[in-house]
Amino acid sequence: MKQFIFASILLSTLLFTACDNKDDNKSELAEVVLNFTANYDNDPLVMFERTYNYEADMDLKMQLLQFYISDVRLLHDKDGVTEEVPVLDIGLINFGNVYNDADAAKGINTAAVSIPAGTYTGLRLGFGVSPELNATIPPDYPLGHPLSENYWEDAQSYIFFKVEGNADLEPNGEFTDKLTFHVGGNNNYRELSFQKNFTVEKNGQVTIPVVVDLKKILIASDGTYVDFRQVKQSHSNTSPAAIFMADNVPQAVSVK
Amino acid sequence: MVARLKVGISLNSRLIFQKMSLRLVFAFFIEAALVVACTPEGEEPILSENNYELAAPAHFPKLGLPEYNPQTLAGVELGRRLFYDPILSADSSLSCASCHLQEHAFTDGQAIAIGIDDKPGRRNSPSLANSAYYYKGLFWDGRAATLEEQALIPVEDPNELGNSWAMVEQALRRHPFYPTYFSEAFGIGDTAQITRELAARAIAQFERSLISADAKYDRVLRGEASFTPSEKRGRDIFFDASETLPAGECSHCHTPPLFTDHSYMNNGLDSASRLEDFSDTGRGATTGQRYDNGRFRVPSLRNLTLTAPYMHDGRFATMEEVVEHYNRGGHYAENVDPKIRNLHLSVQDKEDLIAFLRTLTDSTFVNHPGFSNPFKP
Repeated sequence: MKQFIFASILLSTLLFTACDNKDDNKSELAEVVLNFTANYDNDPLVMFERTYNYEADMDLKMQLLQFYISDVRLLHDKDGVTEEVPVLDIGLINFGNVYNDADAAKGINTAAVSIPAGTYTGLRLGFGVSPELNATIPPDYPLGHPLSENYWEDAQSYIFFKVEGNADLEPNGEFTDKLTFHVGGNNNYRELSFQKNFTVEKNGQVTIPVVVDLKKILIASDGTYVDFRQVKQSHSNTSPAAIFMADNVPQAVSVK
Repeated sequence: MVARLKVGISLNSRLIFQKMSLRLVFAFFIEAALVVACTPEGEEPILSENNYELAAPAHFPKLGLPEYNPQTLAGVELGRRLFYDPILSADSSLSCASCHLQEHAFTDGQAIAIGIDDKPGRRNSPSLANSAYYYKGLFWDGRAATLEEQALIPVEDPNELGNSWAMVEQALRRHPFYPTYFSEAFGIGDTAQITRELAARAIAQFERSLISADAKYDRVLRGEASFTPSEKRGRDIFFDASETLPAGECSHCHTPPLFTDHSYMNNGLDSASRLEDFSDTGRGATTGQRYDNGRFRVPSLRNLTLTAPYMHDGRFATMEEVVEHYNRGGHYAENVDPKIRNLHLSVQDKEDLIAFLRTLTDSTFVNHPGFSNPFKP
């Protein structure tokens, strides 16, 4: 499974050399890894095995949480000036094969990317596929590239994230109601920015833990929520449920 | 319209090609001419010298090929001969083509494949069309990672070709022609170097050449044809593309252009109160993960009209039965994919959906002379 996860997170070239730091010594390199974990409130998010209490006496069991991240950059403090260091263009994070707490705690790592050693103050990433990349299509990519799949032909967009599972709406212990929410479209792309202060030495490696709380994607900070008794699926860029979930993404993603 | 993947050959292979018998050279030129004659408009001829250029369509993802097994004319031709030659079976009665017939888009029309001595196999023969693009495993359960791995397995399966590779290797080494073909394909100079691995590589090269991308669907994409109103309506149901039509939910898994997302899923064929209750555990037997029990590879829908019966066990004889299964939402098991749900399709909806599915039939593919039995005149 680990190999599969790594294979599905294909990094697209962007190394620090793109920054044209003429006064940086190229041997002064370190590495950064992003570690993604998913929770449901205070519990680890695992497929099938756990039951999650939802609003209004509804319970959930999940089968899939998957999302793209794109345009990931670190904020590098260099001589008092903040510059952006590109980390990766695109990645596909898929929790569909996380079946136990141990794997959930382990999370999903991106491949290590070289960055200049030094002091950093923040992380920026796009949740979804950036508009620039969302204008491309699967035939633009080699088979196995994250953007060679998950494309909506009619919407001319990649599916930015998928939430799939089963609900017990009675509740009677039977999870027979099927939930499938697929969200895409440039209108649902969210750019996120996090403060993260760290220093990485030459030849050192830093892991940045990124946490996604599924409950906060489904329930807004004001308590409004996706009512699965009313809507069980959305495969649209413009449906209220799709926009609601996308709007909740900023509160659902955090950096430890 | 056609992106080309040009695969080079080693100098050694090129020299060997120059030493090929006149008979084989002649055969290649005849075949080249036939292929050119039958190539859809806008595509370049496949054959040129000893490079084998896969006709990878522009609307397919870019195809990567294993560096250790580049496509060559001689390799593909050897693979084609091995594919159609019953020398691979224990009693010389069956070949790969016995269960993968070109006229059936390289399936066999049987619910369950029939092997040597009429022994039933385990599952339905899957189509080989576009198998070059299968990058998440082959067979219904994904137990082979590559075409090269896959090609080794049926020879020694007692319910398929029932042979041993040691016997096949001996037969190939003693054969009047195969040593030359292997030499031409792989540059070997000694019959002792004919191995199962090289045979599998050749078969894999031939299978990679089986690209199907000239259905009406493709011609519509290229602006060379248009859907009928029924096909268009079916298309919109397939792709959940209309607010006024029911969603068929098909394209989530049968994603164009290959009409598979390469995943493994439980599509609700069987009720199972426990995940251990499936008579065929499918993907679970490969991964050891109980939540993969009852999951099978999502097959491509290309050439669907030619590949009946359907599902891993061939339980559905017609496309109508398949559509009705999905329309009813399948049976319960814990890991049935949540996209399998009651679709509420009307009779007209189902007819139109099937009309669209029929546009995925590629007659060019099933009549391609380069894919046919080389032993038949």
